[in-house]
Amino acid sequence: MKFFKSLTTGQRTVALSLGFMLVLSIVRLFTNADDITSSGTISSTLRVATPILLAGLAGVWAERVGIVNIGIEGMMIIGTWFGGYGAWKWGSWAGIALAIVAGSLVGLLHALATVRFNVNHVVSGIAINILAAGATEYLSIIFFKGQKGGGESQSPAGKGGYGEFDMPFLSGGRIGSWHSPDILGWIEKKHDLPLLPDLAGFVRGLVSDIYIPTIVAISLVPITAYILWRTRFGLRVRSSGESPQAGESLGVPINRLRYQAMAISGGLAAFGGAYLSCVFTSTYRQGQTGGQGYIGLATTIFGNWTPFGVFRGAILFGFPSALKFRDEKNVPALLLVIAVILVALAIVSLLKNKQLLATGLLIGAAVSAATYFLVDEVPQEFVAATPYIVTILVLAGAQQQLRPPAHAGIAYRAGENH
Amino acid sequence: MTEHSHLGNQLAVELHGITKRFPGVIANHDIELLVRPGTIHAIVGENGAGKSTLMKTLYGMHQPDEGTITVNGNLVQFKTPTDAIAAGIGMVHQHFMLADNLTITENIILGDEPVDGRGRIKFKEARERIETLMKSLGATFDPNTNVSELGVGQRQRVEILKVLYRGAKILILDEPTAVLVPQEVDELFTTLKRLVADGATVIFISHKLDEVLAYCDEITVIRQGTTVAHTTPSQVNRRSLAELMVGSDLPDPSGRETKIGTDVRLQVTGLNLAGEIVGAKLALEDINVAVHSGEIVGIAGVEGNGQFELCESILGLRTILSGSISVCGQELSHAETRERINMGLSYIPFDRHREGLLLDAPLWENTFLGREENSSLTNGPFISRSKIESDCRSIIDRFGVLTPSEQVPAFALSGGNQQKLVVGREMASDPKVLLAAHPTRGVDVGAQAAIWDELRHARDNGLGVLLISADLEELIGLSDRILVMFDGRVTAHLDPATATPEMLGTYMTGEEQGVAQ
Repeated sequence: MKFFKSLTTGQRTVALSLGFMLVLSIVRLFTNADDITSSGTISSTLRVATPILLAGLAGVWAERVGIVNIGIEGMMIIGTWFGGYGAWKWGSWAGIALAIVAGSLVGLLHALATVRFNVNHVVSGIAINILAAGATEYLSIIFFKGQKGGGESQSPAGKGGYGEFDMPFLSGGRIGSWHSPDILGWIEKKHDLPLLPDLAGFVRGLVSDIYIPTIVAISLVPITAYILWRTRFGLRVRSSGESPQAGESLGVPINRLRYQAMAISGGLAAFGGAYLSCVFTSTYRQGQTGGQGYIGLATTIFGNWTPFGVFRGAILFGFPSALKFRDEKNVPALLLVIAVILVALAIVSLLKNKQLLATGLLIGAAVSAATYFLVDEVPQEFVAATPYIVTILVLAGAQQQLRPPAHAGIAYRAGENH
Repeated sequence: MTEHSHLGNQLAVELHGITKRFPGVIANHDIELLVRPGTIHAIVGENGAGKSTLMKTLYGMHQPDEGTITVNGNLVQFKTPTDAIAAGIGMVHQHFMLADNLTITENIILGDEPVDGRGRIKFKEARERIETLMKSLGATFDPNTNVSELGVGQRQRVEILKVLYRGAKILILDEPTAVLVPQEVDELFTTLKRLVADGATVIFISHKLDEVLAYCDEITVIRQGTTVAHTTPSQVNRRSLAELMVGSDLPDPSGRETKIGTDVRLQVTGLNLAGEIVGAKLALEDINVAVHSGEIVGIAGVEGNGQFELCESILGLRTILSGSISVCGQELSHAETRERINMGLSYIPFDRHREGLLLDAPLWENTFLGREENSSLTNGPFISRSKIESDCRSIIDRFGVLTPSEQVPAFALSGGNQQKLVVGREMASDPKVLLAAHPTRGVDVGAQAAIWDELRHARDNGLGVLLISADLEELIGLSDRILVMFDGRVTAHLDPATATPEMLGTYMTGEEQGVAQ
């Protein structure tokens, strides 16, 4: 434990990730569920995680400036519709651009309600979710109904998707018309080895079959961190979420900042929505977001309101879904992974002298492992629920060390404080 | 600008005929204030006299309805604090304006960040400037630590640094000593003297007259919204200054005619309370306190040394590790809070906003809180609004709570009146033992006198009081015995007849008494 505490945050992340890979590798060797660390799973995890990541970043921007944004789901819904509309009329990139504009406007609406009219943040957010669901249905009837392939619950197909990207040499990408060798792909197929194929699969997953919007979304993680912690604008945004009175007394235009950050938040959430309707698929469908806005908000909390934390959370939430998408037979192996992780957490809690928690964790581990060995087929419903169960477990476990922005969600009127 | 030749006599700040009205109230009228540069100028007055309103006017947080503001000889109009900052005025607020989760550097540079062309903060440059300022202030902390890790005195330093960082030459300090222990007050004034020697001007708002007389160069007195006197410490003494402030005779905490009773009302024996984290040191360690009928036992101590935990343990809000608590001879160590209250325990809480009042609820609901089982306020299982309202009116009358009616919400009252209402409620149920935590914190002299009178009166009728206070004069004046708490233990027993504030201050900061009594 002491050794672990002496590491920097970055080193800890690497150590934990390697540990996690090791667990996956052992489980893979044991269960022959080769797909749990294949490059296909990893790249599909990234794809599934991207909308969650964007929703999580939307949450970071909103809460850091001091506004609780339950409306992320609604802003995503707006994003899916405008993404679908833009993709159908002009192409996918236009769809994303249109969605971001529309989402920013909805973000501004939330800011108007909470900042100008001091509406309770949760109430306004829920209103936006309801409004978004209703408005998109109405717009669909006007614009999509009667069009070829369109209807009141879906848009006509969009004009083409995105080029996918493969890294030369590492994952067999092309240079001009020449196919470079796929080195990682070759290592990945050596399934009998421990750890090595898993690592190769992991890295190859990051550099093959990647949509360009995914790359844009992931690059927003360091960009957000840079803006929030290195620039004047970012410092002011954070001060607004921690203590708007302090900022106001020093001449920081708190209200204007809140509008700006909410426009960014809405734009990010809508980008996440548009990703679903014109990258992940090529049409808008009603109900396409399926609550991913809420999961995104959960990653905001799980990620301790930091962009990199949100990234970790999004990957964690995306992984079970990706496994499910690829082949449901993989999911039982996940039970074993959960069991191993719970045992590890139990050991950590024992070291911290928390016997009760350790006992609980061990019971959980036993149940997981027993389920794996006793049950041949995991019911479809359980498979569908897995990401959500993981969400609850992760949040329950992470809760104690989290520190939200001190002033997020609290009513604030400029000039009313000392 | 016109009279450059008189630069030597030029005043740092000059206010003439300032009047500020809020809906229904005239907060300031006909204010005249002249502040010479290079001085510490005190503005004294009771709470609610309009000191803070005046300073907000000077700092541009709102605009005066009438009157003129002149800074360094220039007629100015401040629309926002930014204008005031540009004119070289800085304000250190009474309630610190710090973001806990930002670093010291971030808090200081906020709003005036050194940036390059792309908006990136030049942290190195900021840090160097802050370290220079820290040296001139005599402050020693790492500017990269989070403000959440700092103590009160250090936070105040950060506030002063914030102001200096903006190049302020005129510093307004709004009741800066309200949160400090005597030693910290000394340090603060050493710092201020240093700044004044470097050419700064300090406007110091306070109602603590000893400090004002000891450290300030000039004094302006404000009473009921207007300036009533301009004087210097050599021309007045404590009493005459206080009378200028109040406009009448003064209250005095001391005085008793009755004897302390022989029956023990509250007995705490060998009380231990576990710390927040398992394995950490005890929050309370071997506390022994006895309060007799008709006795006031004072507890002195810097906040956070176990006073709060002691009150909550006595009330049964925390589960104690070992030891015993009894009220009127009845062992209550593991009783429910409700039982303890029914035994005659009563509590004036530390923070009236957090624990004492429902700010959005009307006064009559507030005076009913905690007295739900009082049969004179209910009709069987139902509460009787008319009975509660008339009971509330009697509390309002008896304690002189200034309010239009018992129907207004609690937030509409000033701090002093809120406190009187809380004290009134706790006294109304005729308690046997009263835990009074800071009963007169943040209230003006008039309200303080009223609360002291009620405490004395109740004591003379046999009430046992455990008094926790940061006002050392109050402690010494009211208490029959004083215990000092430090780090969760009782470290000294003092006799108020011989104790001085300095003595208390020494024990409060960790000095132990050689001989236990």
